[in-house]
Amino acid sequence: MLVTLPYEMPELVTRAPLDTHTSTVLPEWVDWNGHMNLAFYVTAFDQASGAFMRNIGLGRRYVDGKHGMTFVLETHVTYDREMKGGAPMRFATQLLARDAKRVHLFHEMHHAEQGYLAATNESIIMNIDYTSRRSAPWPMQVAERLESVWATHRDLPRPAKAGRVMGLAKK
Amino acid sequence: MIEPSLGAPLDVHRATVLPDWIDWNGHMNVGFYVVAFDKATDTLCNQFGCSWEYTREKIGMTFVLEAHVTYDREVKEGDPLRIATQILDHDAKRIHYIHMMYHGTEGYLAATNELMLMNIDYQTRRSAPWPEWAMERIGKLAAAHASLLRPPQAGRLIGIKKK
Repeated sequence: MLVTLPYEMPELVTRAPLDTHTSTVLPEWVDWNGHMNLAFYVTAFDQASGAFMRNIGLGRRYVDGKHGMTFVLETHVTYDREMKGGAPMRFATQLLARDAKRVHLFHEMHHAEQGYLAATNESIIMNIDYTSRRSAPWPMQVAERLESVWATHRDLPRPAKAGRVMGLAKK
Repeated sequence: MIEPSLGAPLDVHRATVLPDWIDWNGHMNVGFYVVAFDKATDTLCNQFGCSWEYTREKIGMTFVLEAHVTYDREVKEGDPLRIATQILDHDAKRIHYIHMMYHGTEGYLAATNELMLMNIDYQTRRSAPWPEWAMERIGKLAAAHASLLRPPQAGRLIGIKKK
């Protein structure tokens, strides 16, 4: 296991949920229905996951320095309301669970000005060894930071939209 | 309108991983798997007349309500993709289906995408029943798919399993 990473760690944000990430719907994310295409919600959420990972010490330098990578294993999106090109987004991210190599994140995307909930996303993200491209435990320094984050997130109520199984409800 | 392909699963969609779809990990990015799957959804909707022309002619639209993706194996730039689609359920306004993405030549399962799609009225942008001609075709497709086994990736609950 990697013990320390050879670059400076950012100041750790333990605020729960994590609310540092904001973004804007890009013109090329809009489809023939005149709204953000479903795939780019996943891209936007992936960037919010990136903000969470950077906070625990796994940003671009982690990959560029060939120390490791993180892969998404699974993701679930609820599309709650349309977003148009140029719409500002703010994200809130809750750590639902973690283990030696994985995190289970829950994101909410809100329209940053109008406030409405646009979508939610649950993702499982795994740490990957750079050379073997197989799963590996978090670097020790990262695991410690993750525990500090977990300490403030663990008591948040579980979001109602987490843990959904898809299906047509019979009426 | 094309004659619907009644093989089960629907296995007509083919694609290639584009250079723009690759991220700093050197593989197709999570968002672009969904771009690729969404094009397979267009192929599905084309079977019952609710694809691009449906919206271009301002007849209606289709919106995805919910999506679940399993990322099973990496694909790289230029890889050929084969996407097969199975209808799991449907009602007067919605279709519940799953796409299976395979590497086109090596055959391995790369990812799956389960989706809930709803028909939308063009003017109100609210849910509306499928047009009669679409419903008839959806019924035929669903009947053709009814005898397929339900893939284990359908109906998954996301989480970290305790070992």
